[in-house]
Amino acid sequence: MNVILAVKQYVSKMIEGCGGGMKVLLMDRETTSIVSMVYAQSEILQKEVYLFERIDTAGRETMKHLNCIVFLRPTKENVDLLAQELRMPKYGLYFIYFSNVISKQDVKVLAEADDQEVVREVQEFYGDYIAVNPHLFSLNLVSCCQNLTWFPPLLSRTIQGLSSVLLSLKKCPMIRFQNSSEMARRLADSIRQVINKEAALFEFRKTDVAPVLLILDRRDDAVTPLLNQWTYQAMVHELLTINNNRINLSTVPGISKDLQEVVLSAEHDEFYANNMYLNFGEIGSNIKELMEEFQKKSKSQAKVESIADMKAFVENYPQFKKMSGTVSKHVTIVGELSRLVGAHSLLEVSEAEQEIACQGDHSTLLQRIRALLANDKVRHIDLLRLVMLYALRYESHSNNDVSGLVDALKQKGISVENRAMVQAILDYGGKKGRGSDLFGNQDAVAITKRLLKGLKGVENGVENVYTQHKPLIHTLLDQLIKGKLKEASYPYLGTGQLKDRPQDIIVFIIGGCTYEEALVVHNFNRTMPGVRIVLGGTNILNSKSFLQEVSMAIGNPSNPVQAGRTVRP
Amino acid sequence: MKDLGTVTQLQGHFEEEHSSEDKAVFQQLKGFFDKAKKKILGDKVEVELNQPGEATKREELRGLSGYDPSWWEDQELGAVRSHTDNFKSIRDARVNDFVVETNKLLIRLDKLLSPDAPTDPKKRKAYEKAIVRWIPDNEVPACLNCAKSFSILTRRHHCRLCGGIMCDRCSEFMASSYAQKLVNPAHSFNGEGFLKRTNSNTSLNSLVGNEGESIMRVCKTCRKLLERRGIMTELRNTKPPIVQIYDKMKLCIKEAEQIIPDYMPMVESLSQGETQYDYRQAQIMRTKLVKLYEAVDQLSKKILTFDLNSEQGVNPKQVHLQKSIRLYATNFMQENLMGLQALPTEEDYNKLRQRRTAEIQRKIAAERQAVIEAQERERSERERQEQERLMKENAVSPEDGPKPGHRRVSSGGDIQKKKLLSGKLPVNIVGTSKGHARNQSDESVGKGWKPVEDAGRVSKASDPMLQQMEIIRGYIRQAKQANRVDEVVMLEQNLRDLHTEYQRQQEVKGQAGY
Repeated sequence: MNVILAVKQYVSKMIEGCGGGMKVLLMDRETTSIVSMVYAQSEILQKEVYLFERIDTAGRETMKHLNCIVFLRPTKENVDLLAQELRMPKYGLYFIYFSNVISKQDVKVLAEADDQEVVREVQEFYGDYIAVNPHLFSLNLVSCCQNLTWFPPLLSRTIQGLSSVLLSLKKCPMIRFQNSSEMARRLADSIRQVINKEAALFEFRKTDVAPVLLILDRRDDAVTPLLNQWTYQAMVHELLTINNNRINLSTVPGISKDLQEVVLSAEHDEFYANNMYLNFGEIGSNIKELMEEFQKKSKSQAKVESIADMKAFVENYPQFKKMSGTVSKHVTIVGELSRLVGAHSLLEVSEAEQEIACQGDHSTLLQRIRALLANDKVRHIDLLRLVMLYALRYESHSNNDVSGLVDALKQKGISVENRAMVQAILDYGGKKGRGSDLFGNQDAVAITKRLLKGLKGVENGVENVYTQHKPLIHTLLDQLIKGKLKEASYPYLGTGQLKDRPQDIIVFIIGGCTYEEALVVHNFNRTMPGVRIVLGGTNILNSKSFLQEVSMAIGNPSNPVQAGRTVRP
Repeated sequence: MKDLGTVTQLQGHFEEEHSSEDKAVFQQLKGFFDKAKKKILGDKVEVELNQPGEATKREELRGLSGYDPSWWEDQELGAVRSHTDNFKSIRDARVNDFVVETNKLLIRLDKLLSPDAPTDPKKRKAYEKAIVRWIPDNEVPACLNCAKSFSILTRRHHCRLCGGIMCDRCSEFMASSYAQKLVNPAHSFNGEGFLKRTNSNTSLNSLVGNEGESIMRVCKTCRKLLERRGIMTELRNTKPPIVQIYDKMKLCIKEAEQIIPDYMPMVESLSQGETQYDYRQAQIMRTKLVKLYEAVDQLSKKILTFDLNSEQGVNPKQVHLQKSIRLYATNFMQENLMGLQALPTEEDYNKLRQRRTAEIQRKIAAERQAVIEAQERERSERERQEQERLMKENAVSPEDGPKPGHRRVSSGGDIQKKKLLSGKLPVNIVGTSKGHARNQSDESVGKGWKPVEDAGRVSKASDPMLQQMEIIRGYIRQAKQANRVDEVVMLEQNLRDLHTEYQRQQEVKGQAGY
């Protein structure tokens, strides 16, 4: 149940299957991202893959002495382009791999184009998704939900992506879905259809306990993507945006040229692998340690000049070089994060956010938001998020003052379109759209738990106020693992039911998941022996992309009349 | 690769923060970085995939240390489905037609090119017609290719290979040397395979090309089929020079990869002054490795600069390919050459060896001394006990004295127990040492090697586990003295296992105690 390994093994297998000699890897836009997430270029180079080409690049040079590994999504355009390529082959032999199911008709088109008999293999290798962490994948789809229903082309891409995850992990799961969501039901149905249609493909060795696929809708938890984050990976994505492991730092003041875009890959960056789930404070001290270690190493080099020491140095060298590279990269990133935190009073904002999301007394919170509204350091986007969170939390509170806060936003000069987002978030993730008890208000047990937790927090004084929030998925997974997830809210598709507690779980969130949720899953994996969970989403959200997602989902949120009418009753 | 630039920053940091420290260190560091920088920036690659670090398997494992190890448990390759067979059957059905047709053409071509074929035009025509039936002129009113009606001005021409009819403009002319090459791939051929003759209206059976070479009239379809075959055979039979160099380089790398695992333990052992391996042999191996590395370096450099000055203009992808290959070679060398430690010089080695021998002798002497002392102690102890016993016996009435032999029995039992504990181990050792001896030089053939149970040194530890560990430590000492590297490794592993087991037991006991 490691998605990075799954994709990596596919790629390795393709390269092995091609034999020795110089190779070129021919891909499309999407497969390029898929491969780049699991293989570093230098790593793939050592396997004699010397060139990378895009199938849609016109006028590629003829190089008959290279063998060609083709890795493409099975789209119509790709099949056409490949047929063209085969009629006039530019490389020696072709080993063709499609990232998903390809139709017999398309195979025929290709076979008829191969007059020169250059094709050696045509196979399906189901690496049709972006593996982000070992337990996290994304499909990089934006706005799959439009007018609160599936945007059809993205539904089919989602079906392909999710079924390829199942195939690459060799899981034929029981499917559960969020009953309140029509989108979840449709996706669940479609996945079931794929499994039935390709029954031969989904025939895997039976495990004692069947794996579970749980399909959720982002609308059930609109709070999580609105919060500021303090663990490294999540925080970097929230403040700087991670795009296929890449971070654009070109807007950072005074950045050196070679750091304008940096790569954060846990596969190839030890420091990142060790720190991606730690909080901001811990990272700072770890970086300091790393610097000191580096200095110590170089100092010890000074003392001795014997061959043995030189040898030790040489032995340490690759590590050493790597370390020096990562140190400055992370110093830069952490530096920029802390600049942003300071410049925009993010600690204060975050504290308020956490209290809205977790507990807190209405009137104190309202005062607090008002105080932040008066603080000029706080960014408009953060103010908007605060008001959105407030609206979600106190949607049905008798004394809620959403309209007053929206007025205050107006006075701050926040545009009509943005103010309309307050209503949009209620339409998207408000009470009507939710199927579960997001704030834990109804369930007596949940209230007690919350109270106890609150007490404990006060008593020990250790609980971090900035990371108190637990995403809804935490509760759901906890219940699922204990076999207590309510069937009424999360029914099984079809007749089968799981009698035992599930072991292998794949959770998919329509509308996108967050790195905070990835951390929750990581912790489950770490602490629950025998339980293995993989999380995926149509996208990986930060607050910025989430706001776009919401405005697309709601349809026409920039209509001020509509928004104004409902916000001010 | 991007990170490299940051080294400059670090250097800057060093210059600022540690200027008071030894300048030499800084220079040394700088030297290293500069070298690395040159190497890596020089071969910078711009493809989308670029990510930092060179990930060898070892480093990869280390890099994941932040993870729950269960993530890296073995995982089967995901599901796959092959369409290859289906693809090939569709393709072959189609290609088969070509192949049959092409083969027919080739057989006819062979006959036409035969040295026995008549050269006299009249006879030649009859010969050609005998090979393939020419379509009668009256059956074809217009060119089969362009549908132009035949007339006095537009004359009919026959394809010599299929007998079809076409107009002059639709004819192709195949050079006979190209035809020769098609029939016999060993035939050397340069230049254009097909010629287009313009403004010609002749109907000569055999024609003569510009350079006096005979040519043959064929139709477009036949040309296509023959050309396809020509390309395929050429691809199969020729290797561009760059591929030849590359193959040579790969051969060197492969050879080096085979030698390295043998060489490394040799150096390790020799630089300890051990005599297990032959110094000269190691020297030969090292020379060989260095030569291979040099060859890899040379060949990859040759690839890097290959054809860069050709007049045809440089193909950017080809340049990129050559750079990547060079990078591949430098990565290989960096990884392996860095670890290629120098052998000690012969002089040093002799010194090392002497020192080691002396050391071992000193150890042996010390141990012997220890044994003697231990025996001494034991004897005195025994004497003391004897005296005590005598004193007791004297004190107690002689009738109640212990039965004779009682003591011997109990001590015999002791030895029995120890043997039981260590019983499994010596057997193993004998087994491996036998296997080992077979591969070894004559001096040890048949002798085998077996550690002697040294009961004298086994401490009187109460726990059988501890006793066992003590015994194994004794074996290790003996094995080391006997230069049995393999056994030492095995025994040490044994000892480690025992140690872990012992600790586990202690923990269990500790828990049970609470």
